[in-house]
Amino acid sequence: MPSESRQHDGPSLEELSAFIDHELSAEGRASVEDHIAGCAECRSRLDGLRQTTQAIRGLPMETPRRAFTIPPEGRRSWSWAPVGWLGGAAAALLLIAVGIQNLHLPAGPAATSGSTSTVSGGLAYGPAQGEKGAVAPLAAPAASTQEFDSQSRGSATNAATVVDPTNSSRRLVLDTDSPSYPATGRMQVTAQLIGSPSTSLNSANQGLTLMLVRNGLGVALNPVGVESWNGTPIFGGWYDLAGFPLSAPRAGDYRLVATWVIPDGSGRVLQASVPIRLTGS
Amino acid sequence: MFPSKDKNPDDRDLVSRARRGDREAFTQLIVQYQVPLYNMALRMVGGREDAADISQEAFLRAWEKIRTLRDAPFKSWLFQIAVNLCYDHFRRGRRYGVMPEDDQASNVIGLGIATPDPQEHAEASERHRLVHESIEALEHDMRVAIVLRDVNGMAYDEIAGVLRVPLGTVKSRIARARAQVQERLQRHPEVFPREDARAE
Repeated sequence: MPSESRQHDGPSLEELSAFIDHELSAEGRASVEDHIAGCAECRSRLDGLRQTTQAIRGLPMETPRRAFTIPPEGRRSWSWAPVGWLGGAAAALLLIAVGIQNLHLPAGPAATSGSTSTVSGGLAYGPAQGEKGAVAPLAAPAASTQEFDSQSRGSATNAATVVDPTNSSRRLVLDTDSPSYPATGRMQVTAQLIGSPSTSLNSANQGLTLMLVRNGLGVALNPVGVESWNGTPIFGGWYDLAGFPLSAPRAGDYRLVATWVIPDGSGRVLQASVPIRLTGS
Repeated sequence: MFPSKDKNPDDRDLVSRARRGDREAFTQLIVQYQVPLYNMALRMVGGREDAADISQEAFLRAWEKIRTLRDAPFKSWLFQIAVNLCYDHFRRGRRYGVMPEDDQASNVIGLGIATPDPQEHAEASERHRLVHESIEALEHDMRVAIVLRDVNGMAYDEIAGVLRVPLGTVKSRIARARAQVQERLQRHPEVFPREDARAE
């Protein structure tokens, strides 16, 4: 089929496809460029292939609902199904997502600034629901947006910034309001996707995941799109550490890891992490 | 068969530590690759549960075998494991269900922030569904080539390493896959109007 697709003396299907991918030699590339400059038919074929490629690359990158892990000891002492506390985490996160979805918050700035208590009261993750909740969304009052200013990172107490090596204006900034918390405390997390090619506040569409990890095990945090001002999608939340289904002892040193698969079809990944210490029981 | 140049040099230290049994280092590799690996599997097998199973099994096998990894880039090696698992999945003839509607949308949470226009959202969902179906209709060898290229953004030599086929085969499979997807999408001009038609 590819060889059949060669028409007149123009480039073959493979050559046009590789041209889109910048996978031709300089000579091959120049040859295709020369030809399509004077051939409407091949320009049209190239446009069609480009459209198709863009449609595929436009598929959203989804975030897995499970935390992938390795066994503590010995392979079959462990199962990769979402069981045990990891399963509890997944269930809790799902429940929270559904709970939040059902809040029906009114739109507009007034609702935003007043949403803290509404959200806290409306979440379906408290003990009364029989699930240990893990995440409370960060209501994003207007005053708080100053804290998200990337220029003010210096004042953050626990922050990490990773710059895209291929695009210095693109950065992943992860921070928490403290490097250390009581195991029953609340942790504020923000992840700024500066220079994202997408404005989506859906973490799956942005390719963002947040995980708290220790010794090969992790809890996936539900990154809530909280604000998009000045074109920067920001995710995060207030996370209720008491509700995290952590294995004993809960106290100890963890890492909070933000992974951002840049949603431009390149497959490039930025990853930032900060240390988190939990104290007490 | 793997490309000699490691495109992810930052992996080297993590892989080196993981080979010595450092679980934390391997966990960082999991975190780094879980989304691209899962999405590769998702576009290959279609179902979220199956894709998650394949991803988890790939990480597990990689952890078990990482001591055997010498000079090959970790990413290509990991994806090779996962691709083989996808083929195993096909060989077993396991049926996979139709992808559920875009339930990731349930993670879009309104906190006084403008939400996407419902019509735009519906149109985007329909586009994604048709693209996904067109990829799913491809023969497996073509499907994996186009997924590694257009979903995972791998270079041709990386794909050749993952699939253990010559570069020319990669080029040919990607081109043929794109042509077939294009042919299927063009059956829906209301969703995928041609650029030249749009301009008229």
